[in-house]
Amino acid sequence: MHTVLKLAMSSLSLAAAAAWGAPITFNTALPVHEGGYVWREQLVFMQSADDPTPARRDMQVTGLVSVLGYGVTGDFALFGMLPWFDKRLDMRMGEQDLSRSQSGVGDLTVLGRYTAYQYDAPGRTLRVAPFLGVKAPTGEDDAHDGLGLLPPALQPGSGSWDALGGAVLTYQTLDFQIDSQVSYQANREANGFQAGNRWQVDGSLQYRLLPRRLGAGVPAFLYGVLEANLVHSAKDRANGISDPNSGGTTLFITPGLQYVTRKWIVEAGVQIPVSQDLNGTALETDYLFTTGFRINF
Amino acid sequence: MNFRVLTQRMFLTLALALVATGVLAAPPSYRLAVGGLACPFCAYGVEKKLSALAGVERLETNIEDGSVIVTMQDGMTLDEASARRAVKAAGFSLRTFEQVPPGALEGQ
Repeated sequence: MHTVLKLAMSSLSLAAAAAWGAPITFNTALPVHEGGYVWREQLVFMQSADDPTPARRDMQVTGLVSVLGYGVTGDFALFGMLPWFDKRLDMRMGEQDLSRSQSGVGDLTVLGRYTAYQYDAPGRTLRVAPFLGVKAPTGEDDAHDGLGLLPPALQPGSGSWDALGGAVLTYQTLDFQIDSQVSYQANREANGFQAGNRWQVDGSLQYRLLPRRLGAGVPAFLYGVLEANLVHSAKDRANGISDPNSGGTTLFITPGLQYVTRKWIVEAGVQIPVSQDLNGTALETDYLFTTGFRINF
Repeated sequence: MNFRVLTQRMFLTLALALVATGVLAAPPSYRLAVGGLACPFCAYGVEKKLSALAGVERLETNIEDGSVIVTMQDGMTLDEASARRAVKAAGFSLRTFEQVPPGALEGQ
C-alpha cells in the first residue's frame, strides 16, 4: 500500500513542479520571466483496485495541487507546491469490510531551478536546468480514525523533511517540444517510518496539432502530448526494519492534450502503468487521471 | 518671379513641410528578433518585460519569425541595451535590433 501511494504522490509532486507550459507530469527548463509568476492548479485522481490478495484493497486518492512559480531572474525560478489530498482505502479483513479515509493539506515542497545552459536560435531553444528542493512536513502526520492511528500512506503529510534534486533538459521548436528529466528524492524518518528513496526518469514529447500553419501574431497552440515516467522506489523502513511489501519500479505512459495561449494553459492526461515490478504484495496502480490549468501573470 | 510662380513655390514648400512634419511626428518603431521564442506562453513574458520599458506604446509579436515590433510613444526612443536587458529578463536572447524605417509598417 505504501508503494502505490508513494508512486502516486511522486507523480503528483513532480507533475506539480511543471508550472510552466510543457510536460504534464514533470518539470521543464523553460523560463519564468523575472518578477513574474506562473500559477498552476492540478487535479489528480488515482485508482488502485486490482489487488489479488484476500484483503482486496481498493485505494483512491484525489489530489489538488497548487503551484506558484516566481521568476527571481530570467535564469532562476522558485517554485512552491502545496497539495491537498483526499485518500480512501477500502479493504476486507476477515469477514469485515473496512473503510479508512483522510483528507487534508499535504507537505509543502519548495524548489529552486537554475538555467545552467541555454542556446537560443530563431524559433527554437535548448536548455538544461538543474533543480534542488526540500519538502517540509506541513501536512498532518498523526491523523486517527475510529480504528486508531492511520498508516503513513493515508496520512496527508509524511512528518519528515525530505530533499529532492535533479536536472531537466528542454528542446523546444515551433513544431514540437522534447523534455527529459532525471530526479532523486531522499526521504528521512519520521514517527518511526521512513519512505524509501525514489529516483525517476521522465521523457515528454509535445507536438503541435493546431494550428497546422502559423500565421501572423501569436496564435494559441494545441499540443498532442506523450510522456513516459520510470519511477523506482526503494523499500520503506518501519522502526528500522525494511518492509518487503514496499518499493519497486513502475513505468507510466501518459497520452494527453494541452491547449496553450499567451496567458493560460489547460491540459489533461491519463498516466497508464504499462509495467509494474513491485515488491511483495505492494498494490499496483490502475491509472492516474490528471487535469488542470496554468496562468501567467 | 511672377506671382503665379511664387504661389506655386509657396504651396510646394508648404506641402514639403507638412510631409516632413508628418514623417518626423511618426513614432519610431523597432524590430527585435528574439531567439528562443517558440510558444505562446513564452511570448507573454517577453511582451510584459518590453511593455514595462519607458515610452513603449504598442507591441506586435509574430511567433513564426520570432520578432517583436515595438512602437514608441511620440518623442520617445528605444535603445538596444534596454531592449536586450528586457528580453534577457524574460529568459530569452535578443538576436538583432533595428529601427524600422518610417512608413515600412504601413499596410502590415
